[in-house]
Amino acid sequence: MNIIEIRDLTKDYPLGTTTVHALRRMDLNIKEGDFLSIVGPSGSGKTTLLNIIGCIDNATEGSVKIAGTEITTLDDRKITDMRLHKIGFIFQTFNLIPVLDVRENVEFPLLLMKKMSKSESRERAEKLIDEVGLTEHIRHRPAELSGGQRQRVAIARALVTNPDIVLADEPTANLDSVTGQQILELMRAMNKIEKTTFIFSTHDANVLKYARGIIKIRDGKIVKR
Amino acid sequence: MALIFKIAWRNILRHKGKSLIIGIILFLGSLLMTVGNGVISGMDHGLEKNIVNGFLGDLVIIPGKEKSDNVLFKLYGESVERIGNYKDIKKLLLKEDYIKAFLPIGKNVAMILNEEEGEPGYAMLIGTDFAQYRQFFPDNFLPVEGRLLEKGEAGILIPLKWREEIYDQMNVWLIPEGAGLSRKNLSEDARKNLKDLNVKKNAVFMGMSDEYSSSDIRLPVRGIIRYNALNTIWGHFSIVDIESYRRCLGYFAASDSSQEVKGERKKLLELDSENLDAMFGKSDFLVADTGKSDISGISFKRKELPKTSEGVDLEAGAYNLVLIRLRDGVSLNKGLARLNRSLSAANLGVRATTWKSASGFIGSMATIIKGALVIFVMFLFLVAIIIIVNTLTMAALERTTEIGMMRAIGARKGFIGSMFLGETAILSGLFGGLGVVTGIIMVNIAPLFRITSDNDLVQLLFGGDTFAPYLSAGDILLVLCELLLVTFITVIYPVKVAKGITPLDAISRD
Repeated sequence: MNIIEIRDLTKDYPLGTTTVHALRRMDLNIKEGDFLSIVGPSGSGKTTLLNIIGCIDNATEGSVKIAGTEITTLDDRKITDMRLHKIGFIFQTFNLIPVLDVRENVEFPLLLMKKMSKSESRERAEKLIDEVGLTEHIRHRPAELSGGQRQRVAIARALVTNPDIVLADEPTANLDSVTGQQILELMRAMNKIEKTTFIFSTHDANVLKYARGIIKIRDGKIVKR
Repeated sequence: MALIFKIAWRNILRHKGKSLIIGIILFLGSLLMTVGNGVISGMDHGLEKNIVNGFLGDLVIIPGKEKSDNVLFKLYGESVERIGNYKDIKKLLLKEDYIKAFLPIGKNVAMILNEEEGEPGYAMLIGTDFAQYRQFFPDNFLPVEGRLLEKGEAGILIPLKWREEIYDQMNVWLIPEGAGLSRKNLSEDARKNLKDLNVKKNAVFMGMSDEYSSSDIRLPVRGIIRYNALNTIWGHFSIVDIESYRRCLGYFAASDSSQEVKGERKKLLELDSENLDAMFGKSDFLVADTGKSDISGISFKRKELPKTSEGVDLEAGAYNLVLIRLRDGVSLNKGLARLNRSLSAANLGVRATTWKSASGFIGSMATIIKGALVIFVMFLFLVAIIIIVNTLTMAALERTTEIGMMRAIGARKGFIGSMFLGETAILSGLFGGLGVVTGIIMVNIAPLFRITSDNDLVQLLFGGDTFAPYLSAGDILLVLCELLLVTFITVIYPVKVAKGITPLDAISRD
């Protein structure tokens, strides 16, 4: 079953008097539970594609369906709810709320959802923190963690709401190679445990070996899958 | 909500510098607002206390012919019309259950003739039955020399301030009959001129009336008085027994009513001014000016004053005003409306007005000073609002990545807005609250210093002789509401900016 269905997706950015065509009539289907990597040179459209799938950016033209819902026509409130309930994010650097500790950061989306009791939220957050191996740092704030530890927290937070998709834009870009590998191994393990679809962008060839599928993009078009 | 306040509180601690700047502005703003409100309220409270309880009462019944409600401080020479039907008014007032007390008085200006052939002086006179007056205003002034008027006694009580003015104008220093010269109360100029001081124990007053032919009367000074509050302003008003006042103004005195008037004489007295003119209609109205008219040689015939009006029905004579005090809990406007309805229905030829309108420039100045203070406090807050809005907006923009990330993981715009509102609310609550508490303490401590002034305007600002700011529970509630309003206003634009931050902005910034 396709968790993501993209048809004729076009994204243009006006730049002064010219227009940058970031995505050109792209078609793409992604199955539930996939662990995919999007690769391509800088400016190829990887981040733009992830942003549109993640309901962070709007398409200029075309159709994008996430778990059967057409997202291009949703208003801000519904699109925010879509991000909260269906999608988890792992960014390169700005991942965590600086004034909250590890447990509070992971718990944060659950508190926004208001579906669980406080004790249930805490239990769920602590389970995921344990799964990413940070139980002993549970009361630490982001400033007291290493880059790798912060990404682990981000992974736990991305998964805490049990989303359909986790999107990671260059999740290892700011990490050393060993830590980067650990993070990817963790993501793959979580993909197996939680059965969540993972899509991550990278231009690091070493990262690709972890992906079960690779989508190559160049000049806003899929050139190989 | 707990999450919002947790994040807001920790953000305040994280950005201590900015929080402190905003906090100090809020502290100073709320402190100034509280003290400002205290001064305004103290002025209102003081003026009401000192004017209502010490000089005018809540409402004033004035003659219907009066063009303006300002009867207290009319231009010199412009007289207040006469009320000739006080007994009918009294009957009506006694039936009005919202009226606590009332006092009929005469109020007009008299000229003081200079017996040394120098410049005359002027005096504002309050004519009253002194016993009734003291019941209505039990402690509004004290004698500093001599004594107060005894029941039915003819005489005048002169304020300290006005005695000094008369000395400056006429070179006459008035002292009470039966009292010696009190050196400690001499003005600086009088003290310098002590050897040649022209001391007098009585003076000749001639009423200034537009309508009636006034007469000059010699009034003995019984006492020199000092008003307990607003002495600089009330210190222009001398208190005269009502019968002397009436004679001075040429009114029909109560003692005259006991004389029987019969036949043709009565008909003549009942004629109005137009009919009087008609009687002389056939005579030449204009006479040739021979250029020889010289009034300097005319000697006015002074009326001999009865020494006492005891046994006379004082209420039978003329007055100018009736001062009204309302029962506790009756609002000024409601009382005014009810009284005016009754007066109008009874067709008594008079109307009621508030003490503020009757006191003319005092009421206006109080409103102007109050308005100026309000504008000043609002201006301070406007400046504070601009600074806080700028600081909060900068803080919002600096936190673009954090806010964008929150939005990316599912925080709605409302959550971001609430977070900023929470931060400002906490700062307002802490620093603004501290400012309000400090302000309340300052307002309560200020009267202990007994800061006084002799300046008219400053006395109006003080609402009395002493600076006594005052904050009621309602005023404190008002200050808190104003603080809440300021918090709300300051947060509108920064919240708009913060809510406008998108996850994409955060990615771009990163």
